[in-house]
Amino acid sequence: MSREILVKAKIPGAETGIEVKKTICLICGAQCGIDAYVKDGSLVKVEGTAENPVSRGTLCSKGASSRQWINNPERVHTPLLRTGPRGSGRFMPISWDEAFERIASGLTKIKEESGPESVVFFTGYPKWYRPFLKRLAHSFGSPNYFTESGTCFLATVMANHLTYGTTLWPDLKETKCILNWCRNAPYSQAPGYATYLNAASRGVKLIDVGPLSTTLSAQADIHLRLRPGTSGALALGLAHVIIEENLYDREFVENWTLGFEEYRSYVQGFPPKTTEEITGVPAETIVKAARLYASSESASIVQSPSVTVHHTNGIQNHRAITALIGLTGNFDRKGGNRVIPESYYHTPTGLKSREAEFEQSRPWEEMAPRVGQDRYPLWCSMMDEAQATALPFQIQSGKPYPIRAMLGFAVNYRMWPGSDFMKEGLEKLDFFVDTDLFMTDTAKLADIVLPSCSSFERRQLTMYSPRYAVWTEPVIPPVGESRSDVDIILDLARRLIPHDSLLLQGQEACLDWIFEPSGIKMDDIKKHPAGCFLENLPPIPYEKYRTSGFPTPSGKMEFTSLVLKNAGIDPLPVYREPAQSPLSTPDLAKEYPLILTTGARLPMFMHSRMYRVPWARNLRRDPMVDINPRDARARGIPPEGWVMLATPRESIRVKANITEFVPPGVVNMYHGFPSADANTLIDPDYRDPISGYPGFKSLLCQVIKIQDNGGNK
Amino acid sequence: MSQYAFSFDVSRCSGCMACVVACQDQNDFVADETVAFRHVTKYEEGECPSARISYFSLACQQCGDAPCIIVCPAGAISRRQEDGTVLVDRDLCVGCHSCELACPFGAPKFPEDGKMAKCDLCVTRRENGMKPACVRVCPAQALDVGPIEELSKKKAEKASIAILKSLIFVSPKEL
Ligand code: SF4
Ligand code: SF4
Repeated sequence: MSREILVKAKIPGAETGIEVKKTICLICGAQCGIDAYVKDGSLVKVEGTAENPVSRGTLCSKGASSRQWINNPERVHTPLLRTGPRGSGRFMPISWDEAFERIASGLTKIKEESGPESVVFFTGYPKWYRPFLKRLAHSFGSPNYFTESGTCFLATVMANHLTYGTTLWPDLKETKCILNWCRNAPYSQAPGYATYLNAASRGVKLIDVGPLSTTLSAQADIHLRLRPGTSGALALGLAHVIIEENLYDREFVENWTLGFEEYRSYVQGFPPKTTEEITGVPAETIVKAARLYASSESASIVQSPSVTVHHTNGIQNHRAITALIGLTGNFDRKGGNRVIPESYYHTPTGLKSREAEFEQSRPWEEMAPRVGQDRYPLWCSMMDEAQATALPFQIQSGKPYPIRAMLGFAVNYRMWPGSDFMKEGLEKLDFFVDTDLFMTDTAKLADIVLPSCSSFERRQLTMYSPRYAVWTEPVIPPVGESRSDVDIILDLARRLIPHDSLLLQGQEACLDWIFEPSGIKMDDIKKHPAGCFLENLPPIPYEKYRTSGFPTPSGKMEFTSLVLKNAGIDPLPVYREPAQSPLSTPDLAKEYPLILTTGARLPMFMHSRMYRVPWARNLRRDPMVDINPRDARARGIPPEGWVMLATPRESIRVKANITEFVPPGVVNMYHGFPSADANTLIDPDYRDPISGYPGFKSLLCQVIKIQDNGGNK
Repeated sequence: MSQYAFSFDVSRCSGCMACVVACQDQNDFVADETVAFRHVTKYEEGECPSARISYFSLACQQCGDAPCIIVCPAGAISRRQEDGTVLVDRDLCVGCHSCELACPFGAPKFPEDGKMAKCDLCVTRRENGMKPACVRVCPAQALDVGPIEELSKKKAEKASIAILKSLIFVSPKEL
């Protein structure tokens, strides 16, 4: 075969000079293994790493677009100093030294004037450098370390901790029944999707819950297509059937739970017919699903990281869902939902680590109260960070103390409900540093922008469940002068916290220190470029509660949470309607009759990350609202016609995607589009009072046809 | 000769379009961003509550009696002896689009240089022991490639096992 043909087909080997180097995709949290095809230092193609146990050689459309993500014209090449007004995008390049000097002196000055707590540390995606940033914040003296998880995953952790004192992971390998609750895996973490399909072909039963008609719901034995925001009622309705028909686990309930009688009497209020009225799921389907879930030999609930908690009753809805696990005795049982100790940003590996100790270099008591601690004391007492959704309010009010500076990594103001309100907050700061791969709309507001590099250009540890680890080295040189986030944090640490001797020892030394209790050394992981299973570690037993109880105040699973009770909150997983819904606000619903749900994934996007990547963007060019054919017909909206999507707060101009993907009465809008930001539609204060989480996924709206559809590209 | 072809499992495809992007990455379709040899189509049938949404990922079918070969006035399209792949010799192509008109699947594409390009089942990759880029990337494992007899055998076995499973499930008690 001629060399020319081999080069064209990008066949690796000496003849073509194409080398296959191992790295990972971190566009989303699935962390798929990547075989980077590199020729003369540049990336010519990507492919999935076959050895990776999670992605098994596959990728999604985002990961497959890696080349355009990395070699993107919007990459930031050097540190930049703002020269024009905020948002103008006018910057001048400066050296790294100058940038670090300016940042160090700027933050130190504000710390001296207003206290370290007036400097906040924020990180968006990804997660790998978070332990380093949190330590930097606390060593600096600020309690105000925030992550995007403060509007995403952590509320599910909180809900599970309230009931069980721990988080719970589905035992998909062993289960006989999967209850998939509002998670569209084929779109959110595509490579994990095959797990479901393969389970189904092994004869595992699949119950899917969710308003959207997905590939998973099409495959499911039962689809419970509920109205957005009513998960809690549906879960209580399932519990009603399970208890009435004596399908619950008496041994577990009698010996290991608190408050069953109160719970039992509360679920009396959710017989199938009533549950149907609330959720829209037919009563007989509820009964069928309850029977299948509870009488399967084992059953696992797959939880979404955020969908169920993005409602104004989110925490209690999520508690109602996971209460089913204990009720049916599937807690930490083979094939049920397992307790697996987490390490390295919530990876359930069961490894012993000192991560929390590493991050919390200064105890909370020695720092000022965190942002959000006044409004969401419970959240702050259970979660090891400040509450991000409270941040714009404190920037505006200056109460209880002023917020003056932010050292940010991948900040995106469009993450916040009422995103324009957060944008105003950032504009008000005395000093704002943002670190990003791209010149984003948020970076344009910064005083200094630092260029970080992609996972292809840096060294990092990545961990997977079950116990798989990869150490990756750069496979291509960094774009411009961009650097790894951890290197940036360490260089700032040298200037800001020279007393922190552990952090200053560097990335590997810190990771070795964190994993010392399991005896894992970075040098050993590095020996396997595609990664390795961490062998010779004790297996994680099932039913650990039988010897150690539950880490809750009562030592049991708590249908009635003592923590909630002490905080003056209803201890049962009570159901409340979304703060805006056809039932709770019928007057508002006359003008805004459609339920708006936002934030569900599309396969080619990951929040706002892929809009600038042509291969991904070409798969969906315009902002689109999904609307059912019935609702579109009633409004005379033609396919792909331009419409106004309006709430009492704001309206955005988008195209109509007429589809049965959404049921009648519900519209779904993808978030973060630069030209049509769904989060401007939502009031900054539309929240779950327990967690402070935004009710992104159930509010009211109207869709109005725009008469002039011509020439509106 | 053994005829090679793609197989596609409609029950697995989620419409994620990774196959489209992998094809663009493999074939360097960066200039004209819309070109790919694979196309994913969504199809909706029925109304809520009984609506079904499915996706189809289609590329050149490597037809046994390929109309594009027949209509090409320049004789630029031919069938590869070893595996039946339909190939275009781009040096001979005159850019007349006849193949595009004749092809029922929309497989012939015309990138910037105006000459026809089409899916060749990643023939060079296969020769070197690799799967086509789209097959390799598919997270749902909906795509495969191989000699038609083998693909049909796989499908027949899969269907039979599914039927047997449902029979076993009901037989002891209910039959
Ligand atoms: S699922 Fe897609 S975006 Fe996420 S890590 Fe894998 S390839 Fe990357
Ligand atoms: S990659 Fe696979 S699942 Fe995704 S659209 Fe293509 S064939 Fe379907």
